[in-house]
Amino acid sequence: MEKSPETTPKKHPWFWSSAVASILLRLVLIIYFPNTLNFSSRPEVSTPITSLRRLAEGYWLKRSSMSPYAGSMYHGSPLLLSIIGPLTVDRSEGQSQLLCCLAFVIADLITAILIRSIGQLLQGADIQSLKSLGAGRFSKISESFPSGDIASLVYLWNPLTIITCLGYSTSPIENLMIVLSLYGACKRLVPLAAFGWVMASHLSLYPVILIIPLVLLIGSGLDTPPRKLFLQLTDGNDYKKTTNGSLHLTNFSWRRVVLFLLWASAWAFYVLVLCGISIKEYSSLGEMFKRTYGFILSVEDLFPNIGVLWYFFAEVFDFFRDFFLIVFHINILFMVLPLAIRLHHRPCFLAFVYIAISSILKSYPSVGDSALYLGLLGLFVNALADMQFSFFLFSGYLGTLLLSPVMHNLWIWRGTGNANFYFATAMAYACFQIILVVESVSSMLNHDRALKKLGNTTVAKKVQ
Amino acid sequence: MLPKKAHRRSRFESSSMASTPETEDQKPKHRPIIRIGIFIIAHSFLVSVVCCTAGVVALLLLPVLAKKTHVSENALMPGSASPMIADRDVFGANRFLNELTSMKLKSKRTGIEIPRLIALHMANLGGEVSYHKFQNQENKFHPLHFFTSQDAGANRVNRTCESYATNTVGIIRAPRSDGKEAIVLVTPYNPVNLSQNEVLSLGIAYSAFSVLTQVTWLAKDIIWIAADSQYGEYNSVSAWLKDYHTPSFGGSRKLHGNGCHKSNDVHESKLDIIETEVSDTLRHSGTMAAALVIKVANTGEEGGQDTLNIYAEASNGQMPNLDLINVVSYLAVYGQGFRVQVEKLVSLLDSKWLKFIGDVVETVGIIARSLNPQWKFGIPVKEYVEGSATLVSSLYNQALGVPTGSHGAFRDYQVDAITMEISPKLSSTSKGRQTEFLFRGGRLIEGAIRSVNNLLEKFHQSFFLYLLTSSNKFISVGVYMIAFLLLVAPLPVLAASLYSDANKSNPESENEPFKSWRWLYPTKTVFLIHLWGAIVSLLPYFIYQIPDSQPTSRLLIWASLSLFILTVLHSFFKARSVQWALLKSVTVSTAFVGLCVMSVINFATAEIGALLLVPMCLMIKPWRVAGKLHSALNLVLVIIGFPGAAFSVVKSAFGFQEGSTLVEFWYWLESLWAWNSATYIYICMVHLPCWVLCIYILLHSCL
Repeated sequence: MEKSPETTPKKHPWFWSSAVASILLRLVLIIYFPNTLNFSSRPEVSTPITSLRRLAEGYWLKRSSMSPYAGSMYHGSPLLLSIIGPLTVDRSEGQSQLLCCLAFVIADLITAILIRSIGQLLQGADIQSLKSLGAGRFSKISESFPSGDIASLVYLWNPLTIITCLGYSTSPIENLMIVLSLYGACKRLVPLAAFGWVMASHLSLYPVILIIPLVLLIGSGLDTPPRKLFLQLTDGNDYKKTTNGSLHLTNFSWRRVVLFLLWASAWAFYVLVLCGISIKEYSSLGEMFKRTYGFILSVEDLFPNIGVLWYFFAEVFDFFRDFFLIVFHINILFMVLPLAIRLHHRPCFLAFVYIAISSILKSYPSVGDSALYLGLLGLFVNALADMQFSFFLFSGYLGTLLLSPVMHNLWIWRGTGNANFYFATAMAYACFQIILVVESVSSMLNHDRALKKLGNTTVAKKVQ
Repeated sequence: MLPKKAHRRSRFESSSMASTPETEDQKPKHRPIIRIGIFIIAHSFLVSVVCCTAGVVALLLLPVLAKKTHVSENALMPGSASPMIADRDVFGANRFLNELTSMKLKSKRTGIEIPRLIALHMANLGGEVSYHKFQNQENKFHPLHFFTSQDAGANRVNRTCESYATNTVGIIRAPRSDGKEAIVLVTPYNPVNLSQNEVLSLGIAYSAFSVLTQVTWLAKDIIWIAADSQYGEYNSVSAWLKDYHTPSFGGSRKLHGNGCHKSNDVHESKLDIIETEVSDTLRHSGTMAAALVIKVANTGEEGGQDTLNIYAEASNGQMPNLDLINVVSYLAVYGQGFRVQVEKLVSLLDSKWLKFIGDVVETVGIIARSLNPQWKFGIPVKEYVEGSATLVSSLYNQALGVPTGSHGAFRDYQVDAITMEISPKLSSTSKGRQTEFLFRGGRLIEGAIRSVNNLLEKFHQSFFLYLLTSSNKFISVGVYMIAFLLLVAPLPVLAASLYSDANKSNPESENEPFKSWRWLYPTKTVFLIHLWGAIVSLLPYFIYQIPDSQPTSRLLIWASLSLFILTVLHSFFKARSVQWALLKSVTVSTAFVGLCVMSVINFATAEIGALLLVPMCLMIKPWRVAGKLHSALNLVLVIIGFPGAAFSVVKSAFGFQEGSTLVEFWYWLESLWAWNSATYIYICMVHLPCWVLCIYILLHSCL
């Protein structure tokens, strides 16, 4: 929700300057305040899955010829261990953290650039389809707002992204993989999309559900208004606009989807082989599955975080635990299918909704996940122009995110509060996220309805 | 989470209001909760007036709503055992006092001799004795210390050996425990200039320590710190606590100036005997259950009874668990016949308007009782006035965020601690009177320690968040929060109604596409002003780099730099002209968020801040739009709303005028950041930006 002050609707040479400024801000914070801003110890920033401290521990274990998963410290991927692990070794004073942070800054930058190109693709498709529908007013709006630039700047300047980047957590890399898969699917680069999806799911499991929007993207192309409208337009009279209108009526391309699935399985196989090689001497793939995916699914770690599950599973009786684990995880899956049916014509938006929902309901959420979906929200800025509650949500996010560290301090350090204080902010945060999702979906549907109304009037005009 | 909820509901409304005109064909039937919200927003003026008045009235009624304290933790059982302190303990204490007094009179090098003497006596009683040497840590302002832990010893400079002070620490190992828990007694004294009161407090601690070495029921170790307060009472205790809680392996002795050890060790042969037993390494015991700071004050103004003053406020308005205060005051009143007092603002005791309110309250109470004898409402005027004076002092001390004594150092380590300041009824030096005094003090300490000794867990049963209106009456968080919430509730309502009005009544907005995102422009302005506030709060760090400057000149440099930065920010980011209503809406909602966050950190600051901010935020209007009277009122509110002006007004109202206001204000601010008070952050990052924005709105040229 944090709109940067730079997002003014003018021509945009300022994009690069303000992107560079955000990178410079990160570098300044990293270089001059390496230890004072201790974000890595915040429960909102680093989770058991993403904490770099745990990764360093796992790498140390691996180097001393033990299983990196020994002792329930590390729960990430073995590939991450091989790639980022060497950076965590303390060569000289503070050097290691600098290298890691640089890696995360680069990841953030690439993510932002990818978001920008996704936005440009989406905008192009949007303008084209709106023109073919004859919705001049909407297409004018679409042209004036470079949604890609806005989205990527929102991502770069979002305080949550910056905090995550400085907080020694690996979520920038997870976010990069998710955005990479979306980008690949938008560009219809099937191998890239498959790679991104496989890596993202490998790193944090929840992006598995993104397979539906990815398949829709690859199969039927970018976000468009509902297909019915085009049919209506062509059926309503003999008005033929073959050039552009028919472009969107292309059928679902099964060939590409099959290709995607093949590529995905190939990449998955490859990743598993790599994992197997990298932990061959100390551990096995079975243990890896148990310690990473098992750890995510069974919510073993009940340290407080901004999610709502830790409190619940700390309270629940042991014999109900399995039941509620199933309930909570099914919860995400329950929403997948209805949303896919309702929003199948807008796969990118569907992906945004899935990411937002999984970041509300995942077992170890962090503000890094919120940073990603808030950035993606910027992609649909034209469609969501009439979104309600935007100011209310902004104030709510601001209030809860300020209150959360205060409550944590009250509970853990001052000892005058208790767990309920912190959990209250976690609940409020979840509520605001839910309102955000509900409102964005409903305003997207309203947008479609408005287009339909417009379509009806043009058809009526044509008939007259 | 009540504020959030209220806030959410009202914002919810605003947007639905905004959407209603669009769905013109059929008016949608809203859910009841939404209709209630729309109703509230439609009558926002009435709601604001009613809520604000109710908030102020509730604040004034707080002394009436105070409840009697009670010991909630059953394990404490105060006063259930008879005191075991005997003649020989007090006799020993008397002898100890005489030695101290004679040493004070004859020796010049008391700074070294007195710790030695105390150590000797501690060792003779059977305690494990050690010295704790520490350097004077200056309270230096560093902007990041609010958010991070201080890095220990980063700015340790080489100083001369004279800058070391010595705490003498004696530990009694509990016979029935494994040494995992401890109770701390602190007696601050100044070895360079020992006063008779400090001697007496050492004597009380001695008598208690003496009896505790002999008892069999101890389950927690007893640590007695004779804290060398030549660099301040707080510093000595906090230095000891810091070293106690940061385990050092071998390196500590080097840090603590081993080189100086030699010079101090040139001692007379008389005390050589104990040298083997006293170690310079810090001796540890377990985690601390509670700490009692014992002080003796000068004779109370009215004779008749010994008085016990309890000081409890720690940094940032934190209080110890109420049970600790309850135990001590219960034992003092019912066991030893002390008169227990909490600090109160004396100048309020004969204020006319407070008496008037008290009269009204009493009359209402009498009328209520005449209607129904079951209604126990209302208290006598005198009680009301005294309760209010105590409450104001309690609020002020909490809001300041500066601890009222060395007990504050313990709260930073989650240890409950209070200062017990005993003032004897007569300052007679007669032997008999002194012995009786030592007896009573010793019994009180012994009783309190025996109670705490019974604890199985930390203090957790009773309240941590409360305000005291007298030593046996308190207002819990659930009651005082109501007053605060009533006071701030109009803010979100007003923000919502302004927002929806601005969205509705904008003629050109009908075709504007990003109607619901128009709040982004005022938000940018508000964000910039808050950024300015953050910069202003960091400026003193740089001003301190200027050597040899007077407080007045520092203050002026600060003010001019702030103004300069404000103009630079203003000219750099040329603000697109925004509707004043939207700007006010955003300002008001940031003020609401800021006040709510602050109320969790330090309630008293938020309450006082809300009293200043809420009327200003509610009333403010551009002078072109508002009437003459309204504008004049706004001007007055804005002038009072400036922190410096508010400070001087309050000072003169309570009659503390001394010296130049500017200098005084600077010292006041200095004390705030020296103690890392969150109030400073609040003033710079919430109050000041809101004030600037209010001026901005006042001068807005609404086109």
